[in-house]
Amino acid sequence: MSDTLKIGIDLGSRKAKFALMRGDEIVRLADLDTIAFYKKYGSIVNDELSLDLLGSGIFSADELAQAQITVTGYGRNSINLHGARVISEIKAHVAGARTQTGLANFTLLDMGGQDTKVAQVVASRLTDFVMNDKCAASSGRYLENMAAVLEVSLDELSSHSEEPVALDATCGIFGESELIGQILRGYPVSRLCAGVNLTLVKRVMPMLKRFPSDTLVITGGVALNGAMVDLLRAQCGMEIVIPKHPQHNGAIGCASNP
Amino acid sequence: MRRVGFTTTIPLEVLVAAGVVPIDLNNVFITHPEKASLIEDAELTGFPRNVCAWIKGIYGAVVASGVQEMIAVTEGDCSYTKALMEVLSLNGVRVYPFAYPAGREAAPLKAEIEKLMSVFGVDWPQVDEAKRRLDRIRTKVHEIDRLTWQENRVTGEENHYFQVCTSDMNGDLDAFESEVDAFLAQAAQRPERKERIRLAYLGVPPIVSGLYDFVEEVGARVVFNETQRQFSMPYGIQDLVEQYRAYSYPYDIFHRLGDIGRELEKRKVDGVIHYVQSFCFRQIEDMVLRKSIKLPILTLEGDKPGDLDARTKIRLEGFLELLEERN
Repeated sequence: MSDTLKIGIDLGSRKAKFALMRGDEIVRLADLDTIAFYKKYGSIVNDELSLDLLGSGIFSADELAQAQITVTGYGRNSINLHGARVISEIKAHVAGARTQTGLANFTLLDMGGQDTKVAQVVASRLTDFVMNDKCAASSGRYLENMAAVLEVSLDELSSHSEEPVALDATCGIFGESELIGQILRGYPVSRLCAGVNLTLVKRVMPMLKRFPSDTLVITGGVALNGAMVDLLRAQCGMEIVIPKHPQHNGAIGCASNP
Repeated sequence: MRRVGFTTTIPLEVLVAAGVVPIDLNNVFITHPEKASLIEDAELTGFPRNVCAWIKGIYGAVVASGVQEMIAVTEGDCSYTKALMEVLSLNGVRVYPFAYPAGREAAPLKAEIEKLMSVFGVDWPQVDEAKRRLDRIRTKVHEIDRLTWQENRVTGEENHYFQVCTSDMNGDLDAFESEVDAFLAQAAQRPERKERIRLAYLGVPPIVSGLYDFVEEVGARVVFNETQRQFSMPYGIQDLVEQYRAYSYPYDIFHRLGDIGRELEKRKVDGVIHYVQSFCFRQIEDMVLRKSIKLPILTLEGDKPGDLDARTKIRLEGFLELLEERN
């Protein structure tokens, strides 16, 4: 069993993530921009989206022939991958977090391109979860927009947590004009970046409050935002664990889920 | 024939006694072929975007259907109805307010019913006669409900449909009773269904379509439709005032919880879908439900009418996986 080759694919709103695993060992991780991936390697065959995985060059023909393929993410139900298994995103992310951390009891916060999910895992089992469903202002896309308004890189934005400027707009897009207003008031970019990171924390706190536990595992691309994680640590009172590959957590979960 | 609309379930006996055609405006809205445009029309008229789509849909339904008279439930349901009543009065619609007393007291409820009776010129013997006629149909709909949870021969959607229709009996008692009879005759002959997971649906009826079908596609079934069942007056109470006191929908959440708790237990439910409508005060009650019900709860929020969206499907799938793991 342990040398079985498995491929996990997580089709997110911003990135398509891939994982190749042999048993518990991660052999390879890769990602591509979702839209570019679909444009280049996707085609419609009999009303279904078909993906040319071999053409993408991520996996060899041998690997594709041997491995069991598991997919999650948006549009997964319309994707035609011969022999592929489809699982829900919640299941994939919980499995990924368990595989990567070895923990059995934790709260999972997954912050991706547009989705924010919070799940509670007790004795290795998913017991409850919530997911943002009306607004993506607590997501990576929001951070990208705000970084563009501030004319800073995502790395720069993710490095400031000191003295955050208050940003209160409930809407991620109105938040842009609010940010411009604060720029006009002369606040330094570092404090504005910290303010943006803090809005993310404020938006996920009500979801986290529902599932208290000792440990908070953070996954998704937003987990790479160190400043946001620092601000969250100060507010949530949980021990924070960030797995080694937060962005590939869903793909790893697909490849490792029994 | 004289047609009278209403905004939520009212003592239907009064309208039946008066020989008028009862019209549940929610049903007119949700079955309208252009239901999305009814909401757009209401917004163009000036209804705010952040007001519940049911209110805007009801407004559109009144305008589109040409209803000239209606009963507006001003206490015990949506407070937006008061403003809706005012706007429609301005449009020349005759509106009669009806209030379920917040404290569920018998005397003021009786007074409200008698006020309605005087508007429609009927007396108690006529109302009691109408109740007997309605109860005959209600009893048959209760049998459909029993076939749903006890004998497992009826789908969640069918259960929803027949119970939700009891608010106005589709405006035609005889035709509806025939439909119920025909359904019962064939449903009783069906093989037993074998879904792995049994769900309860709590909250107002969904504005979105396809929920019940999707749940069944993935191996579960709704065996308890809370509010819809309430519309069918499930307790078999003889006294009219007591019947509308027992009816749980217009009163406080704790009265509703009594009914919910009993039915979850009796129907052997594995998990709960709590449907809430965007911009509705009942969304707040989700907190109370979560504290009071020990089963896993998935809260779904609906806004505009339409098919179940991809995001909601993902959440439903995750929830059902969670329930499977627990079983």
